[in-house]
Amino acid sequence: MRFLAALFIFLFANAASADCPLDLGRGTGWVVFSDHYMIAFRPEPIRIEVGQPFSLLFNVCTKSNSPAELLAVDAVMPEHKHPMNYRPTIVAGADGRYRADGLVFHMPGRWELSIDVRAGEESERLTHDFILK
Amino acid sequence: MLLAALMSPAAAQELVDWSIDEVRAIERHGPWPPPLVRDPSNRVSGMPAAIALGEHLFNDPRLSANGRMSCATCHQAGRNWSDGRAKGFGTVDLDRRTPSLWNVGYAHWFGWDGAGDSLWAQTIRPILDRREMAGSAAQVGRLLRDDKDLACGYERAFGSKAGVDDEHLLVDAVKALAAFQATLVSPRTRFDAFRDALVAGDRAATARYPLSEQRGLKLFIGTGNCDTCHFGPRFTNGEFGDVGIAFFVRPGEVDSGRLGGLAKLANSPFNLLGRYNDDASGASAARTRHVQRLHANFGEFRVPSLRQVGRAAAYMHDGSLATLEEVVRHYSEVSLDRLHSDGTPLVRPLGLTPQQRTDLVAFLRSLDADPPPRLAPPSLCP
Ligand code: HEC
Ligand code: HEC
Ligand SMILES: [Cu+2]
Repeated sequence: MRFLAALFIFLFANAASADCPLDLGRGTGWVVFSDHYMIAFRPEPIRIEVGQPFSLLFNVCTKSNSPAELLAVDAVMPEHKHPMNYRPTIVAGADGRYRADGLVFHMPGRWELSIDVRAGEESERLTHDFILK
Repeated sequence: MLLAALMSPAAAQELVDWSIDEVRAIERHGPWPPPLVRDPSNRVSGMPAAIALGEHLFNDPRLSANGRMSCATCHQAGRNWSDGRAKGFGTVDLDRRTPSLWNVGYAHWFGWDGAGDSLWAQTIRPILDRREMAGSAAQVGRLLRDDKDLACGYERAFGSKAGVDDEHLLVDAVKALAAFQATLVSPRTRFDAFRDALVAGDRAATARYPLSEQRGLKLFIGTGNCDTCHFGPRFTNGEFGDVGIAFFVRPGEVDSGRLGGLAKLANSPFNLLGRYNDDASGASAARTRHVQRLHANFGEFRVPSLRQVGRAAAYMHDGSLATLEEVVRHYSEVSLDRLHSDGTPLVRPLGLTPQQRTDLVAFLRSLDADPPPRLAPPSLCP
């Protein structure tokens, strides 16, 4: 079965500031957050298919709505304990916007995406799970 | 065979039940055939004139140094586009089995070690390899310029006369060869009829798929865990794995598989990052650009497609298993010591009963059908 990206629709009324919009267009994608960070992202193409390269578009913000830095993106299958066979590269845009290219999930099952972000001195890893079928 | 036939009527009453998740997993192995894909790195991909030229070149022994070996020597239409041998044989014995060319146009890594990142680049290897056709760019260039039919076929396919740059002509020749190979799509099978009926909810049609094959399929997508690697319509995720086949070629000499393949890929002037990629967007080179070398790549080989698998003369990259029964026994008894995995092992001894092994083999054989007879290619420039 195909993995549909439109799983979560978040309504963050107070986060919808112009500096750090969480909507990456099309109104779909995911939002992950911690005490310090809020990250919105969506895949391109919009469906992630087993074995097919895809990119992730990010908007990385601090909780106080200022842009933050995306350091690294990676993924593993925790059950099988293996990484991706591909190493993504990150291209930075303006205002906390980033694009990670060259991701491939080569098996069905659970993939754990890790997103390393930084604002000032503090860096942090946020994660998100995908179940591919 | 007779015994099995006598025993089956009793079983014919049972039904195999499929959960929603199982139906979805089965659905992912189709539909078949998929639409033909155009390779953006090959500007003549999918073009009839290039396909025709490619088929002629495929059968032409003048691409080889001794004038006696063509692609069709080792990839024979009547032998499942392989050679009927456990390991390839060129001017000397080769260390790996000749893979079938069915559905090769849908792949993205080529060769058992994935040393090729496009069908056309992969096609250069046998032409130049001294153990195989031992040819050269100069020889290919001369042939395309001097042979009347091929020169005419070249002009029709590429829209200009064959030039003087031999390397360029070698690349054009393999692009035509690739266009031809991409047309080799295996026929629909009993499994495909079952899969379509199951997805459509047509119970009468699903009942025509024998119970043993249905039970084998249930194992394949269930406890066997086979479809984590043998995924999708071609029954391969197109990547690499280690299923516990020995990687010693001779005492003291190993086939490092994917690890060596990645080194060859990086060193090839014909990879998709090089100047012969016709895709200006660069998108077709995404895998080549991002692939990373991992410790685990040592001893990994490409996950083979399982379509038409019952027709192979031997199995695995080294042809070390002679029959599908042996392959299934291997997965049933494989040693965990040989497979170093810290997580839940993808391949582990399944401990199958004789009935389960029979079912799994029956399922694998249902991925097979007789291809329609092939006609001789029309002449290039009548
Ligand atoms: C001497 C026998 C021989 C000849 C001649 C030969 N091949 Fe092969 N072919 C092989 C073997 C063996 C392999 C596996 C190579 C490897 O994995 O290292 C192979 C692999 C391939 C593959 C990769 C298939 C896959 O599934 O990845 C393609 C494509 C291919 N050959 C096409 C050709 C073409 C086109 C020609 C003619 C130009 C040709 N071969 C000539 C033996 C041969
Ligand atoms: C870890 C991924 C993986 C899993 C799981 C897996 N396979 Fe394989 N399979 C492979 C690889 C890789 C090869 C080729 C190995 C080699 O040549 O050394 C292969 C080879 C085969 C072949 C031989 C095909 C040929 O042309 O040589 C068959 C048949 C097969 N597998 C069936 C199965 C079945 C049935 C299962 C489940 C019991 C299974 N596989 C599970 C990766 C896997
Ligand atoms: Cu995995």
